[in-house]
Amino acid sequence: MSATHLPAGTEAYEPVFVGRTLEELQKVLARYPTKQAALLPALWLVQRERGWISDRNMAEVAEVLSLTPAYVKGVVTFYTMYHQHPVGKHFVQVCTTSPCNLCGAEDVVRAFLKTTGAGEPGATSPDGSWTVIEVECLGACGFATPVLVDEDFIESVTPEKVPEIVRKYR
Amino acid sequence: MGFPHKPHPKETVVLSKYFGDAEARSLKGWKKRGGYEMLEKALAMDPNAVTEEVKASGLRGRGGAGFPTGLKWSFMPKEPKKPHYLCVNADESEPGTFKDREIMRWTPHGLLEGSVIAAHAIRAKTVYVYIRGEFTEPWTIMEQALAEANGAKLFGDIKVYLHRGAGAYICGEETALMNSIEGKRGNPRIKPPFPAAAGVFGMPTTINNVETLAAVPHILKNGAEWYKKLCLSNPKSTGTKLLSICGHIAQPGNYEVTMGFPLKDLLYECAGGMRPGRTLKACIPGGSSVPMLNREETESTLLDYEGCVERGTMLGSGGVIVFDDTADMVYQTMRLARFYAHESCAQCTQCREGTAWTTKILERILAGQGKMSDLDLLLELADNMTGKTICVLSDSCAAPVVSALKRFRSEFEDYIAGRRKPVLAA
Amino acid sequence: MTDVMISLTIDDTSVSVPPGTLLIEAAKQAGVLVPHYCYHPGLPVAGVCRMCLVHVEKQPKLAIACATQVTDGMVVHTQAKEAKVARQSVLEFLLINHPLDCPICDQAGECELQDFVFQEGRAATRYTEYAKRFNPVEDFGPDVLYVPNRCILCTRCVRFMEDVAKEPVLNVSERGDRAFIGIHPEARLDHPWAGNVVDLCPVGSLLSKDFLHKARAWELDKSPSVCTGCSQGCNVTLDLRDNTVVRVRPRPNLEVNRYFICDHGRANYRWMNRGDRIEAPLVRMNGELVATDWDTALDRVRALVRGAGGRAATLASPRASTEALYLARRLLSRFDWTGGVQVVMGEEAPLAGVPNLALRAERAPNGTGAALLGYTHDTAAALKAAAAAALVLVLDEADVAVETKGALIYAGTVLPAQARGAEVVLPLANTAEEDGTFVNRDGRVQRYVQAKPTPGMARPAWWALGELVAELEGTPHPGSASDVFDALAASTEALAGLSYDRLGLLGRTTSSGAAVTA
Repeated sequence: MSATHLPAGTEAYEPVFVGRTLEELQKVLARYPTKQAALLPALWLVQRERGWISDRNMAEVAEVLSLTPAYVKGVVTFYTMYHQHPVGKHFVQVCTTSPCNLCGAEDVVRAFLKTTGAGEPGATSPDGSWTVIEVECLGACGFATPVLVDEDFIESVTPEKVPEIVRKYR
Repeated sequence: MGFPHKPHPKETVVLSKYFGDAEARSLKGWKKRGGYEMLEKALAMDPNAVTEEVKASGLRGRGGAGFPTGLKWSFMPKEPKKPHYLCVNADESEPGTFKDREIMRWTPHGLLEGSVIAAHAIRAKTVYVYIRGEFTEPWTIMEQALAEANGAKLFGDIKVYLHRGAGAYICGEETALMNSIEGKRGNPRIKPPFPAAAGVFGMPTTINNVETLAAVPHILKNGAEWYKKLCLSNPKSTGTKLLSICGHIAQPGNYEVTMGFPLKDLLYECAGGMRPGRTLKACIPGGSSVPMLNREETESTLLDYEGCVERGTMLGSGGVIVFDDTADMVYQTMRLARFYAHESCAQCTQCREGTAWTTKILERILAGQGKMSDLDLLLELADNMTGKTICVLSDSCAAPVVSALKRFRSEFEDYIAGRRKPVLAA
Repeated sequence: MTDVMISLTIDDTSVSVPPGTLLIEAAKQAGVLVPHYCYHPGLPVAGVCRMCLVHVEKQPKLAIACATQVTDGMVVHTQAKEAKVARQSVLEFLLINHPLDCPICDQAGECELQDFVFQEGRAATRYTEYAKRFNPVEDFGPDVLYVPNRCILCTRCVRFMEDVAKEPVLNVSERGDRAFIGIHPEARLDHPWAGNVVDLCPVGSLLSKDFLHKARAWELDKSPSVCTGCSQGCNVTLDLRDNTVVRVRPRPNLEVNRYFICDHGRANYRWMNRGDRIEAPLVRMNGELVATDWDTALDRVRALVRGAGGRAATLASPRASTEALYLARRLLSRFDWTGGVQVVMGEEAPLAGVPNLALRAERAPNGTGAALLGYTHDTAAALKAAAAAALVLVLDEADVAVETKGALIYAGTVLPAQARGAEVVLPLANTAEEDGTFVNRDGRVQRYVQAKPTPGMARPAWWALGELVAELEGTPHPGSASDVFDALAASTEALAGLSYDRLGLLGRTTSSGAAVTA
C-alpha cells in the first residue's frame, strides 16, 4: 500500500518493538479483542523508550497494529501527553486551571521557568535539561499547586519549594 | 505525597474511612479490614439480585450525571449473546474534583472489589479501568493491588485490566472513554446507540465512576435500607458523597458527608472556613461545568442532586471550588473558558469555535479592550452552545460564563469601563 | 419484505417512508432540503457539523435530522424559530475562522457554505477584532490540494477514505479550534479513487489541481454523460466552459457508481477537446484525398458498398456508441462480415467499500455493447479478416494499423496516418458531441447526452451511417439517435422493450431486469 511505503534513501531506522518491548506489546495485545485497542498503550511504550513519538515511530506502530500512519498520527495529535517532538530531559507540567489558579499556580509556573532557565512555556532550556508547560486540571486541586515532573506527581508546590525540587532532578 | 485530614465530626465516613491508612492498600491489610467479603457474597448471588439491591439503595452515578446506578445496570441484556464489558471511569479531570484519585490511592482494593461486583451484576467478564495519564501514583498503586488480587485469584473468570489515558478531559465522557479504549481519538459518540446496546467494541457496556463503584461493597455489606437512610433532604438522593473542596478555603481536601448536607456547614465548619480576613464571594459546588453561586445562594444550598438544582446549579462531580473576595471573577471565568477551549474534541461546530471565541472575548475584556455589547454577545453565544451538541462540553463552557455574568456582571463592566486596570496584554 | 411504512409530518407535509429512514432523507420526500454539511448518503453518519438541527415535537432538545430515525406520527418543523436560530449560529461559528476567499476560491458558485449562509445566515459578522486561524496550503498528492483555512471540519473526506476507500490516509489532527485535516508525511493521497474527496468537500478546502482556477462555477454548462474510461459505466456530468470540457464529476446512480468516479475517469476528458479533428468529408480523387460535401462523400460510400461483394469488416473503437456499432453492421449486412473492437486492458482498482464498483481492467465503455452486436474482442482475428476483405469500415479506431486489399472507408474524429489510404473519410462527432448509449459490463444500457457542438462539418455516426443505411435499404431516415436505438432494440432480443424514454438518464438493464448478455 502506498500509504506505508518508505521513500527511498531514508536513514536506517531502529524499531522500537523488538525484544523486551515487543514482548510487552504482545502482553498488551492479549487484553483487547482488537489490535487497534493496543494503540494508546503502544504509544506510551514508544514514548517511554524514545522520549517522544516521531512520524517514523508512528509508521512503525501503524505497521505493527495493522493501521495506517495517518490514523496513528490522528490519535497522537489528539492526546496532549504524547510528545510529537523531543523535549528537555525533564518535562514539567504545572496545572493552572481555576482552582489552582486561585492558589497562585501562575507564580509556580514563573518560578519553574526562571529556576530551570527554560524561559517560556513550551521551550526547552538551553542546556536541554528542562521543558516547562502549563497544563489543565491535574485532579489534585485540594493540594494546589500540583506539578508533574516526568512521571513524578508532586503536590502542594509553592514558588518557594521550586528551587529544591529542581535541584533534586539536576 | 499529600496526606488527607482527620475526619471532621460532621462527616459521615464510609468511603474515606481508610484515607491515610497505608496498610489498607495491601491485600492483606484490606482483608484484615473486612475487604473482599462482599465480593465473595456477591459472586454467589444471582446477578439480578445484586442489581436489585443497588437499585433499592438509591445509589446514583457520582461522576457528575447522577443517573441511578442500579437502573443503568438493568439496561444490560439479562441473557448475554455477546460479551459484556464494564468500564471504570477513573479519568477524573473535572476542575475542582480530586476524590477518585484518593479512592485509588488509599483504597485500591475497595475500588477493585466494587468493580468486580458490578461486573458480576451486569454479567461482564472483562473490566477496563481507564485511569487518566497524569495519575501516575494512583496507577502504580492500582497496578500493585491488581497484581495482588490476581495472584490470589480473587476475581474468578472476570478479567480486570488497567488502561492509561494520555491527556484529554473529554475522555471522561462515557462514549469518548469507550472510543479511547478502542484506540481512537477520544470523540464522544452520538446516541443512540446507547452503551448498553452497543458500547466498547460494539458490545453491551456499562461505564461507572470510581466513587460509584467504591460504594457498592458497602451497600452489599450494610444493606440498601442503610444506604437509603443516609439522607438529610430529598429521598431521591441517598448515601454519602465525597466533596472535593479547593480554592480559597482554609483546609482544602475531600470531605465525606451525607446527601443533603448543608454546603454552608461543609465550608465553614468541616473545611475551616475562609482564609483569615476573607469573605466568601462565590462557589461552584459540582465541578467547573456547573453554574456558580454567589454567597447567599452558597450559604443556603443543600448538597444533594435536587437541592443544587433548586439553587440553579448542579451537584455534578462534587468538586467545590471556593472564591473569596480577592478572586477576580472575570479572570477565573476566562480561565475556565480557556480550559474548555483547550479540551474541545473539535467535532461539533458550536463547541470547537464557540469555546475559543468565548475565551477570546473574555481575554479582550481583561486586556481593557472589551465593549458592553461583548456581554450580550457572550450570553448569546452561550445560548447557542447549549443543548445543541453531541456532548455537554459545550454547555459546560457556557455555564460559568452565564452564571458569572448573572451574579458578577459589575466586575465585567468594571474592566470594560476602565474602572479596573487590564491584567492581560493587548 | 415488510410492507409497513412510517407516516410522519414534516413542515405540514405528510410523508410515508420505510422504517429506518433518516429524517433528513424523509424530508427530501416532503420537498424539504434540511441544510447540512457532514451528512452524505454515501458516507456513514457523523452528526458533527450540527447544521441540520430541526424541531421535533415532544422532544426537549433540537434534533439533528441526519441521525434521527423516523417514528410513526412524528411531527417535524424545520423552520421553527428555535431551529433557525440554532442553524444560523452554526453558520456564524463556521464563518469566524473561514476566510473571505470567495473572489479567489474555486468553490464559489457551487459552495454549500455560500448557499446556506445566503439562505439562513447572518448578514454581518460579529467576529471583528480577532485574528482568524491561519495554516498554509498543503499538497496532499497527485490531484488534491488542501486549504486548511477554508476547512469546516465536516470530516466527509476522512470518512470517505476510511469507510469507502478503506484506506485511512486522512485524519483529523489536533483538537479544538486547532484541528485540521492531516496526512502522514510519508503518505500521499494517491488512492485511485481519492479525487472524490474534492467533490465531497462542501467548501473550497479540498481542491482539484487539474481544475484549479480554470473556470467559475456559473460559467459552466453541465451535461449528463457516461464515463468512457472503462467498462464500469460510471455516470458522470461533463462541465463545459465555452464549449470546452473542463471537468468531469460523478453523477449519482445507486445501481452503478453510487456517488463516485475514479481518478482515471476523472482525468479522462482532454481527448474530447482535441483540436486536430477531421473537419470535412474527404473523397479520393485522382489519387488524393480531397475535401467535399456530405452528399458527395455518402454517394461514394454507397457506390463502394454496392460495388463490392464477399467479405467485409468493421474495426470499431470501443468508444463507438451502440447505435453506431449497430448501423455499421447493418450497413454491411449482405456481406460475410467480421466486426472487431480493440479493447485496451489495464489494472483493476476497486472501491473497496462499495460492492461491484471498480476501475475495470477493460478500459472501454462499450465493449459489452460491441460484443452484444457480434463484434469480437480478438483484434488479431479482426485485422486478419480485414486484410482479406473487399470492404473495410474503420469506425473511429485511430490506433489500429489496417492493411487491406479492399476498399477502406474511415469514419472518425481524427485522421491517423494509417487511414491515408482510405477511399472516403467521414468526419464524426465524439462522445461529448452526440447522443448515444453504452452497455456496461453488467449489461446496463445507459444514455449519454450531447454536451457541445461538433466542430467543422463533423456529424454523429448515427446520422452518417443512418443516411447510408436508409438510402441503401429504402427504409426511413432516422431523425435522431433515439430513432436508431428504437430500431436497434426492435432487432436485438436482449434490448427488447427498451427506448430512450425508458432508459432515462440512469439507464436500465433489459426490460425484464435481467443483465444483457451477448
